[in-house]
Amino acid sequence: MAIRRQSAKLDVFTKIAIAVLVLILSVLIVIPVGNVLYKSFQPGGIEVLRNVYDNDYTRQIIYNTVWLGISVGAIGTAIGFLLAYIQVRVNFRGKKLLHILSLLPLVSPPFAFATAVIVLFGRAGIISNGIFDKQPMIYGYKGLILVLSISYFPVAYMNLLGMLRSLDPAVDEAARSLGASKFKIFITVTIPLLIPGIAASFLLLFVEAIADLANPLVIGGDYTVLASRAYIAISGEYNIAGGAAYSTILLIPALLVFIIQRYWSQRADVVTVTGKPSGQIEYIRTPLARYSLLAMAWSIVAFVILIYSMVIMGSFFKVLKVDYSLTLDNYRYIFSGVGNSAILTTTMLALLATPIAGVLGMMLAWVIVRKIKRGGQVLDFFGMLGLALPGTVLGIGYAFTFNSPIQIFGITILPQLAGGGAILGGAMAIVMVYVIRSSPAGQRSGIANLQQIDPSIDEASASLGASGGRTFRKISLPLIRGAFLTGLMFAFARSMTTLSPIIFITTPDTPILTSLILAEADTVRYGNAFAFCTLLIAIVLVTMGLINLLVNKTQQAGYQPIAVSAG
Amino acid sequence: MKNKSGQLTLSNITKVFGNGSEKVVAVDNFNLTIEPGEFVTLLGPSGCGKTTTLRIIAGFETPTSGEITLDKKDLKNLTADKRPMGMVFQSYALFPHMSVFDNVAYGLRVQHLSKEIISQKVAEVLETMSLSHLATRAPNQLSGGQQQRVALARAMVVQPKVLLFDEPLSNLDAKLRAQMRIEIRRIQQKLGITSVFVTHDQDEAMSLSDRIVVMRNAVVEQSGTPDEIYRRPNSVFVADFIGRSNFFKVDKVSSGKGDKVKVLVNNEELEVAAHPLAHKSKTPVLLVRPESIQVKAATVKKSDGIVSNVVFYGNHVEYSVTTSYGEITAIESDPIYDQIVKPGNHAILEFDPSRTWLLPSSGEIIREE
Amino acid sequence: MKKSRLIALGAIASLAMSLLTAVAPAQARDLKGSQCGREGLIRTIKGVTYTCERVDGSLKYAEGRKLSGTLNVVCGATEAWCAAMATKFKELTGVNTRFVRLSAGLVPARLEAFKNNPEFDVWHGGPADGYVVGRNLGLTEAYLSPTRKMISKAQLDADGFWSGVYLGALGFCSNTQALAKLGVKLPKSWADLLNPKLKGQILSAHPATSGTAFTTFWTQVTRLGSEDKAMEYMKELNKNILYYSRSGVAPVGAAGSGEVAVGLVFAHDCVAGAKNGLPLKVSFPSEGTGYEIGAVALIKGARNPLAAKTFIDFALSADAQNLGVGANAFQALTNPKAKYNRLIIPLRKVKLVDYDFEKAGNRKPDLTKRFDDEIINRSQVKS
Repeated sequence: MAIRRQSAKLDVFTKIAIAVLVLILSVLIVIPVGNVLYKSFQPGGIEVLRNVYDNDYTRQIIYNTVWLGISVGAIGTAIGFLLAYIQVRVNFRGKKLLHILSLLPLVSPPFAFATAVIVLFGRAGIISNGIFDKQPMIYGYKGLILVLSISYFPVAYMNLLGMLRSLDPAVDEAARSLGASKFKIFITVTIPLLIPGIAASFLLLFVEAIADLANPLVIGGDYTVLASRAYIAISGEYNIAGGAAYSTILLIPALLVFIIQRYWSQRADVVTVTGKPSGQIEYIRTPLARYSLLAMAWSIVAFVILIYSMVIMGSFFKVLKVDYSLTLDNYRYIFSGVGNSAILTTTMLALLATPIAGVLGMMLAWVIVRKIKRGGQVLDFFGMLGLALPGTVLGIGYAFTFNSPIQIFGITILPQLAGGGAILGGAMAIVMVYVIRSSPAGQRSGIANLQQIDPSIDEASASLGASGGRTFRKISLPLIRGAFLTGLMFAFARSMTTLSPIIFITTPDTPILTSLILAEADTVRYGNAFAFCTLLIAIVLVTMGLINLLVNKTQQAGYQPIAVSAG
Repeated sequence: MKNKSGQLTLSNITKVFGNGSEKVVAVDNFNLTIEPGEFVTLLGPSGCGKTTTLRIIAGFETPTSGEITLDKKDLKNLTADKRPMGMVFQSYALFPHMSVFDNVAYGLRVQHLSKEIISQKVAEVLETMSLSHLATRAPNQLSGGQQQRVALARAMVVQPKVLLFDEPLSNLDAKLRAQMRIEIRRIQQKLGITSVFVTHDQDEAMSLSDRIVVMRNAVVEQSGTPDEIYRRPNSVFVADFIGRSNFFKVDKVSSGKGDKVKVLVNNEELEVAAHPLAHKSKTPVLLVRPESIQVKAATVKKSDGIVSNVVFYGNHVEYSVTTSYGEITAIESDPIYDQIVKPGNHAILEFDPSRTWLLPSSGEIIREE
Repeated sequence: MKKSRLIALGAIASLAMSLLTAVAPAQARDLKGSQCGREGLIRTIKGVTYTCERVDGSLKYAEGRKLSGTLNVVCGATEAWCAAMATKFKELTGVNTRFVRLSAGLVPARLEAFKNNPEFDVWHGGPADGYVVGRNLGLTEAYLSPTRKMISKAQLDADGFWSGVYLGALGFCSNTQALAKLGVKLPKSWADLLNPKLKGQILSAHPATSGTAFTTFWTQVTRLGSEDKAMEYMKELNKNILYYSRSGVAPVGAAGSGEVAVGLVFAHDCVAGAKNGLPLKVSFPSEGTGYEIGAVALIKGARNPLAAKTFIDFALSADAQNLGVGANAFQALTNPKAKYNRLIIPLRKVKLVDYDFEKAGNRKPDLTKRFDDEIINRSQVKS
């Protein structure tokens, strides 16, 4: 189906929507990032930028970062692909369970995975040393790719699941009738058709991996990456401009990756015309293929379960690795004092941010795919930027931008939003950070979904007299409900587990759960830290389940949901 | 029941995509006035600009220059949703998450009509399209033909001033296509709605239209009634696009009685009807449709050529005859089987000059003014 | 209402008013200059807060401050200690005291971000080198608290831009079980750390991180005499280092869980770890070691400078510093009258090198760069 060129006049709703989106993105990300960029050219930052040319170590850090991104992108996408492929092409018991477990790592509180991996597989690890009497060196590249791949593969999984489900089995059947073996079909037909999805996953994982901060700090060892270097610049060298500069450098791979991904997705058009493939899916039946695929999938998932079990169990031990007596003391501690108000505040703020992030992601997707062709790339990039920046630097950008009222010609257009003296106790800045960190997922998945829907459907709605707003509400949104739902769940999970940007903008009025986890980890009280983590996981899972129920309640007869997918 | 409204005028519509080296002219100076209730087809090969023109009418593309008016009102500032037009899409574009009833009711709900009126109107149109028993089904539970009818019902029920069709029948099988053609025409005539239909299928164009606009490479080659297009094409392209043609080289052209001209074809002088600008062409050709040619067995001495191929269709037979002036196709209806000239035999070709048409040859399209 | 009634009501009202004003308590007497019991003591009498200071050999109350509003503290110490301080201060003065706990290294950045519109009034906890930076960036203001007179000059910024509240000596934090398994005795010197049996068994923070690790580095400079000799030692030590952590306290956790046998940390962090149940033992190098000073400072542009100043008085007092132990913080304390718990290792019992904080601070950028280039970068090959 040819890519339809859009040059229609935009109706009022769309124009307003675009204006609002531009405004929101400007305030939420463009201005703070601009501030960071500005800072990176100040003294302290300039030297860092110059170091890229004349300092070996700085260059090494950049190579490390890029290589880490590529590795995690590849491994995470491979895992996601395997699990998605099994869901769609293999018949087995426990599909729903595998699906849920494949999504589980979306809820990863800061430090939880890395710490659990160290406890299990470190030099004195329960499994590595205790059972196998080995002392592996997991600090560094190896440990990082392990933890990061496990943390981020669900993103690739969701993306590819949707794409695999919308592949037309008729294409496979055609290839079969031409004599191709199943394996050959896989290599020459299936994979090429999925390239846009694979590319999108790879690149999204790349961007998230290189911006990740908590894991390089805990398990990164001497493998320095730009994000951890930025952190050291700020907290050790007191060089904020330097931290900003490292983050600016970090934006370059993100930008490149974004451009490449746009290029790939223009090239291949996998769309089935009306979003619904015909024909029956042929399941893989050969026992060898079936069992080896299932074995791989279940072992990966088993590893995930192992990690989570470690976190949960760790919360019940007196002193991890030393005193395994069970106790509720850790829980008693976290529910005393500031813990309670942090739990409440964090949950409330995350709940506030979630629908905003969800709708923002969907509206961006709608405008980018349907409405404007040229400005679309720019909007897309800035929408994703919230994820591409390391958290600490985003936090600094916010602190610098919203530390006082923003005035133009003496008129206050924006009151102080961040920090102790801000309106609502600084809660607004925190919600804004939550929104801008979590809308990209919904945006990607919304775009992927919308691209699979026949644009004629929107046009049909317009030809029947429906305004842009009505079309969005009654037609587009219901059809991408799957994407909207995943966007919501992801937004809540992400918001609850965000740490690094928040450090700079928590106030006494807004105690945040993740900074309490940090405080416990800093004082080596892992029992408490794990208790907080377990609580966090529980809250997120319950809420995600509720959101799921709520949105699915309005299922209509005959509606075939476009498969759950997210980018 | 004839509508007095629904007059659509396109003046000098031009659409250019891209800029600089990537410029593509999709529509070049398109002019057309469609009268209320008229059924006009835009016909042409892929990429000729017909779909773009339709989308400009609908409001899904803005013209680079030119004007469109509906009943003398300028549509320029009206977005697609504000134009009183209905559109039937090639892919039907039914809303997959709504039942047939809801699909059809959609446009009425947009108008905020009362529940009772909506119910009634939808029931009526479903009845007309024989879809009443499918009202609660989802689109993916319908056959292609049923989906097509739902799409049509949905567009019609809002009583648009203009109905637009974007190759709506191309996804149907031949028999269904023929059936739907008849239905569409029947309904359109009954309701008297101005209609613009886009297709590349000449059978559809011929059978449905009051007028046909033939387009090629962004330009209108000819516009006229089916008869005019068929009998008196402007150019070799148009002649060849609609129906089958034979082109005879012509040696001399001189004026004849009235508006006829005298031509020398194969050393025979004929008096034929001609395109007004045919005499201006350097190499005019004579169009003779295959069905106007009779093939009769002949002797070697008096033959025009040898029959190279014969295909028997039952109700007609198709001849390919190799002659000194090219490969000629002839079609004979209701043939007597034993009298069919077999391949390899000599034959003479006979036709009535009054059934022919002289036109300028390709390479110098002399456009209609 | 009848006119007569109005007049009557008015008369009663005015009489009541005059009676009330007559009976109202007299203006609180300013206790400045009166005798007080304990140097550094904070007392609030009739709504006015006083600090007891030593003037010309006798104890008198300094100028009273009428405190109100809220006090916002940015706190680089542990969460528990921050909370204890806030609670106690509120108890003593009635001021609503709130805090935000932040990793010490990030405080200057946060203060810098809000420089034009400060959120906090006072900065408490975290190593002095951060406060030096704070001063240079114009984030803090000088305040000479009367209680400073109790503190040794070596632990104060001469101009009053910060004042020391705790001290920590850098030491070795060893996992006794791990050492036993390796057959290595408790390290008692820098030279002991070079024992080949400890290959990959030592964890230190990266020198660029605030405090701890740079103290390690600079201690070598001071005791060995030159930067080059210090680099030599660090290269040798590198053979036994597992990796350089980004957090100053990570070595405690690593040693505590057995990931390494020895961690290089400030002694009080090790003690806190041991108290939490980890099998750790503290020891100090015989050649001498470095130390950190934890400070408190007044923030420039504070919205509640009076309460902030009083808080600084409080932080320097023995009463405040005694809260540490209860909050699981075992730093040595700057106030000589502070109670000593057996878990606190007094600095006089440790051999300290002559640590020049200013010089160390100035040399830090160059030395950490050298460290990166000559040690970290080279070792990339091995991982």
